[in-house]
Amino acid sequence: MKYEIPVGPIHPALKEPIMIKCTIEGERIVDVDVIASQNHRGVEWIGMNRNNPVQSIYLAERICGICNFCHPACLVMAVEEIAGIEVPERAEYIRVIQSELERIHSHLLWAGVAAHELGFDSLLHYVWAVREKVMDILELINGNRVTKAIMMYGGVRRDIKEEHIPKIREMLDYYKQAFNKLAKLFLEDKTIKMRTREIGILPYEEAIKLAAVGPTTRASGVKKDVRQDMPYFAYPDFDVKAITPDILTGETIGDTYDRIVVRLLEVKQSIEIIEQALDNMPSGEILAEPKIIKLINQIKKAEGEAIGRHEAPRGEDIHYVKLKAGFEYLYAWKVRAPTYINILSWRTMLMDMQIADIPIVAASIDPCLSCTNRVTIVRDGKEEILTADDLHRLSVQKTRRLLR
Amino acid sequence: MNAEEMMQKFQEAGYEAWLQEREAGVRKKVKKKSLWIKVDKEKIREAVESLMEWSEEYPHFSIISASDEGENVELNYHFALGYGKQLEEFAVTFKVSIPKSDLVIKSITPLVPAAIYSEREIREMMGVEIDELPDKRHMFLTKDFPDGVYPWRRDETAPKETNKLYETWTEGGK
Repeated sequence: MKYEIPVGPIHPALKEPIMIKCTIEGERIVDVDVIASQNHRGVEWIGMNRNNPVQSIYLAERICGICNFCHPACLVMAVEEIAGIEVPERAEYIRVIQSELERIHSHLLWAGVAAHELGFDSLLHYVWAVREKVMDILELINGNRVTKAIMMYGGVRRDIKEEHIPKIREMLDYYKQAFNKLAKLFLEDKTIKMRTREIGILPYEEAIKLAAVGPTTRASGVKKDVRQDMPYFAYPDFDVKAITPDILTGETIGDTYDRIVVRLLEVKQSIEIIEQALDNMPSGEILAEPKIIKLINQIKKAEGEAIGRHEAPRGEDIHYVKLKAGFEYLYAWKVRAPTYINILSWRTMLMDMQIADIPIVAASIDPCLSCTNRVTIVRDGKEEILTADDLHRLSVQKTRRLLR
Repeated sequence: MNAEEMMQKFQEAGYEAWLQEREAGVRKKVKKKSLWIKVDKEKIREAVESLMEWSEEYPHFSIISASDEGENVELNYHFALGYGKQLEEFAVTFKVSIPKSDLVIKSITPLVPAAIYSEREIREMMGVEIDELPDKRHMFLTKDFPDGVYPWRRDETAPKETNKLYETWTEGGK
């Protein structure tokens, strides 16, 4: 007997709208269908019909609250390439530091969510307390924790001042110490291992075929990282190497556990990149053209097309931009966030898993949708509504069962 | 195979192809390269097949973008090659122009399974019919989105008074 479980339209693992329709036989998932059409904000339309290119930077920032640096970064890179805007050296370094700060806070946020999905709420609170340190630094250098309004065509809007540097270094030392504790908590815990090892496997070949990006694909052994393959900003100076789980564990399985390993190692990598950036930061201007009206006119005269690509915490983010001379808005703008392509892998990961595994497996790609609050189980034609709390309870129960 | 060699391969096969470059880096300068190739709409599958044959690795599918060019709709199929190796990646884009009088193109999903979401999106946002697409449901727009309205178009099928599009919507659908 087959049942269909729609997880969504507003979800358990994350608080954004998407629907995962799972067909189950007993406890085993035999088919998965993802229905994304729950909430479309028409961001691209606004950029193509209402906003001037500078306003669109702030709009791009609001595509995702967590990746609020990544989307403007892609847009800005594409427009800079078309309009031939050169970026000052110091700005390129600040952009690298901002990207890596974002990666640290995003990966820690994810680690907390993952702990919560498994029923380890004490670990969630611990990780999020640790995360506050980087949020404080973001606030210190940007004036805001999220939607930092730091990006601008031809540079950045705020400098990293001399007095900020000791505080950033203090944060880095703090994370170096916290890293060992976090690694121990996440990677050596018997229960976390039982809940994530061999759960939600994405094999190497599938990761390549389904065009997965970011930690999701790297955990399957694909060494794909834009910072390594096609570096931008000041990244060529840093010789970034893509992180795969075998660096730490000696093997690559491509399961949920490996995705935890990759993200943890990337936090460490980000710390090293920021340290190196602070040591070698060039001095000078941070913005090529401080007068916004002049800048808008320069972009208005530009014609052409380009792709902006950036390694966001969740994977490669890509924007296509087309400008036409004399046209007030972006003539064409296509945003592809990493989750767009990564949700394709859910089907492969969830196959043959159990209902209680849906939250952690769905969360393991670190999806960023905008999310779901209830689940309907159709049993003998009758609908039963499971709330996010019920689903969360099922997940916690499985952890408790395994503990016995 | 690097970007120049790939460009040559496509030029030899009769395609119009060009490279676009942008410098990156402060102390160590590198060039970010993107290869652009014009493809007739009948030849899209052939072009993707050639790309798969000539590249050493499985081409990484990124996205399909689109723009309304008046008489035509232009689709850009973005791929990445040479990934996984330091500094060796480059972007490849197939540019396809489709006349509005015959807005149909063959699906590339049978060749590149990752393209399915993007083709569904192009279908609903641009109104391009994708031939042989295995799944033709809406991707991002809601089920009740009006027919014949395509948000990315710049002609009479573009949404009018978009901000009012949902004004008729009421709780419970009444």
